[in-house]
Amino acid sequence: MLSKTAKEQLIAITGKDRFSDAVEILTCYSYDSFLEEAMPEAVLFPVSTKEVSEILQVASAHKIPVTARGAGTSVCGAPIAVNQGIVLCFTKMDKIIEINTPDRYAIVQPGVINGELQRALAPEGFFFPPDPGSMNFSTIGGNVALNAGGPRCLKYGVTVDYVLSMEVVLASGEVIRFGSRNIKDVTGYKLSALFCGSEGTLGIITELTLRVVPCPETAQTLMVTFDELDNTAKSVSDIIGSGILPVAIELVDKVGMNALENALHQDLPTEAAGTLLIEVDGIKESCEREIEKITDILKKNHAVSIIKATEEADRNRLWAARRAAYGVFAKIAPDILSEDVTVPVSKVPEMVRSINSTIGKYKLKGGVLAHAGDGNMHPFICADRNDKEEWAKVEAAFKEIFTDAAALHGTLSGEHGIGLAKTQFLPLVMDEASRKFLTTIKRAVDPDNILNPGKLV
Amino acid sequence: MSQQSSNCGKCGICLSVCPVFAALKEEENSPRARVQLIKAFREGKLTSSALLKELMAKCLMCGSCTAACPSGIDHFEQFMETRADLIEKEGDLLEIRGLVFLLAKEYRLGLAAGMAKAGQAVLPEFLQKKIKVANISVDRFPNLNTKPFRSTVPEIIEPEGKVQGTVVYFTGCATNYIFAENGQATVKLLSALGYRVVIPKNQKCCSIPMLFHGGIQQAKDNLMTNVECLSGHNAEAVIVDCPTCGSALKKEFPQVIRKYGEDATKADKIAAKVTDIMQFINNRRDKLEELIQQGGKAKNDIITYHTPCHLRNSFISAEPMLRKLEAINFKPASDANSCCGGGGTFFYEYPAIATKMAETKAENAKRTGANIWLTDCPMCQMNLEGRLKPEDGIKMMHPVLYLSSLL
Ligand SMILES: Cc1cc2nc3c(=O)[nH]c(=O)nc-3n(C[C@H](O)[C@H](O)[C@H](O)COP(=O)(O)OP(=O)(O)OC[C@H]3O[C@@H](n4cnc5c(N)ncnc54)[C@H](O)[C@@H]3O)c2cc1C
Repeated sequence: MLSKTAKEQLIAITGKDRFSDAVEILTCYSYDSFLEEAMPEAVLFPVSTKEVSEILQVASAHKIPVTARGAGTSVCGAPIAVNQGIVLCFTKMDKIIEINTPDRYAIVQPGVINGELQRALAPEGFFFPPDPGSMNFSTIGGNVALNAGGPRCLKYGVTVDYVLSMEVVLASGEVIRFGSRNIKDVTGYKLSALFCGSEGTLGIITELTLRVVPCPETAQTLMVTFDELDNTAKSVSDIIGSGILPVAIELVDKVGMNALENALHQDLPTEAAGTLLIEVDGIKESCEREIEKITDILKKNHAVSIIKATEEADRNRLWAARRAAYGVFAKIAPDILSEDVTVPVSKVPEMVRSINSTIGKYKLKGGVLAHAGDGNMHPFICADRNDKEEWAKVEAAFKEIFTDAAALHGTLSGEHGIGLAKTQFLPLVMDEASRKFLTTIKRAVDPDNILNPGKLV
Repeated sequence: MSQQSSNCGKCGICLSVCPVFAALKEEENSPRARVQLIKAFREGKLTSSALLKELMAKCLMCGSCTAACPSGIDHFEQFMETRADLIEKEGDLLEIRGLVFLLAKEYRLGLAAGMAKAGQAVLPEFLQKKIKVANISVDRFPNLNTKPFRSTVPEIIEPEGKVQGTVVYFTGCATNYIFAENGQATVKLLSALGYRVVIPKNQKCCSIPMLFHGGIQQAKDNLMTNVECLSGHNAEAVIVDCPTCGSALKKEFPQVIRKYGEDATKADKIAAKVTDIMQFINNRRDKLEELIQQGGKAKNDIITYHTPCHLRNSFISAEPMLRKLEAINFKPASDANSCCGGGGTFFYEYPAIATKMAETKAENAKRTGANIWLTDCPMCQMNLEGRLKPEDGIKMMHPVLYLSSLL
């Protein structure tokens, strides 16, 4: 429980309406889209930088942990207040401050939903490339703090590539700003890269200037099926290896496709061992040329069927199906664990094989989806956490998957982040000196360890 | 039960479709939170409280979450059961209890409506308060029918000319007690299209408000009677003009009847036949266009439309049809598909939120320049009408009423 003084000081900042410590409300901030849960002691909804700064001054005076939260859709437990304290929820700090397409930037508050920014940009003929599957409900602040990716990041890059400037409130309550509205800017350290993916452990983001880009003239999507998962994966590395750069190449295996079809009933190819969704964009003629080259490669890899979707509605339907992928697994078993190990694209076939053999070895229900074009695997396992024996197998399987990925020069997480899920595996990909450097930075900016303690470092 | 709520993947897709979450931006007012709260309550981690009950109640029961949920959660069923438990322990607003009491016995509602119409001081308390307290001012509140619609029509209405087929018409309370003109229009359109209309006299309230407010057992009589009287008649469709009644017949009836441990075969048959009146007409649009031309009553109105959540989630929006109809000048509103905040008794219990949502809709409707605003749901109509002023020059009505005026 917060001390009476701390509580009074906090309420003085936000007012009673935007503070709560009722157990019913706190329950709603005890989870994200991952498995672990923990109850905070209070939740606050700031609406301005000034409020955030004042809240952090109170928190640092009383050494109360502060965990920022966007929409709570992290799949690694990043916004879970494991050391209790305050949850700072940004859903009400949700203004789009400026859209400037001639200079190609947008200024937003952290609580703006990614999809809302997209809808505001579309009429101007622009878009913000990072497109996590959760784009219609996750916040830009959360996207930045987890350096989110998504299907089209294959061509366009991830969130960090689109952050021009930030306003951050430090643990002390001090407000800093860095970066500018310019794409080229070498004034000091590239701090946006430090804060992107920092999971709220270094500072609280209160404003963002983002790079936005013009929409391509056209886009075309292929849905391709295979009767062997190996050919599916090999097509991916062959396409990328050939020098073509599609917007996205998504891979779905049979287990994944059946789960999608059972939930969505869209006549998806449930018989296929592997399915690829491939999208290219740009000028119409170049799209057609790329599709031709891609089709050749697919045929060489014995694709069973290749279906082209040019109509916007058909494309949207396919992508919406892909975005539903996480939720549909809840139908298979009570708990889902989905990780996102990433390997160099030439190693995709090998990684897919090893994931499958691991899941098979432990006789678990699961499979693999992937933002395959950039080597970002999403192995998933559906199981029951109350079944201790089964869950031990799930954990053993993921440990093997992490180890295999590391051996292929891969990494633990391509986009979901470390959070509570993967801290123990960091030594697989980072040596002691490198891990210590993370701690050095963390200590320097947050000496009392009040910002999202228990995560990452 | 807990088995089912624990199968929520907590993915958060529902946050993007929930109108209450969109208005409040608080996780506790989202479907995902309600499912988690129910789980915590069932597991004994949370005990019954006024706040918990409030969080369960701040829901429009619009069904958008269920329609979007990839995990296949049945939100209505979970909310209904939990609300029943909580209301038993925490009680409900007096006025709402009055409503459940009235709806449980159709004749009481008839009586209440009758008294209200007579303009006597004995206006039932819940109606009186609704008029004064909720976010709708008295002059915008619709008048009650002088006589319940069903008492003014025969049970079987034969069309003129060749009979195309037979349909059963479930009128719902709104048409029966408030919007008799919608009933007349529905019958007129169906007859013009050549259908024999059967309006079973002993049909009762669909009971959605009751189920929503915890009256699961009290609803049993109504549900069983409705299933009996709507069955048979050799009908090819069971027509509804209220999307909420429609989704009750389509989704909740079979489910709740199974819960009573009764045979749901008839309910399943009805569920398969339930058709929204506009969808029924849309399937016969050529004939309608012909009739309108013959009638020669097409007008210069500018029409816009609001899609009720229950129509979108259980049937299909009437918007595509209105767009296609040659005879009308249709100007879509930018937010035609978003919720108005009027669901069930929500606008009565949480006037501030409902008002905010409806005001935005009214602004966007005005922007279309329309003078007629169509919507199929009586609650949406009342809620939205409450946000219009006489000087806005916009008249609201059910699409059937407008279409029948062209014949
Ligand atoms: C169905 C589904 C699909 C998904 N698809 C993808 C995908 O394709 N790619 C991908 O990368 N991720 C994906 N995710 C994971 C998740 O949605 C993203 O990581 C997203 O960026 C999280 O945003 P959020 O607003 O929910 O943040 P939260 O989960 O609330 O928080 C995430 C982290 O950000 C921190 N944070 C939030 N706001 C601030 C702030 N203002 N200042 C400082 N720190 C802050 C929190 O402390 C926490 O550490 C998916 C999740 C789901 C459920």
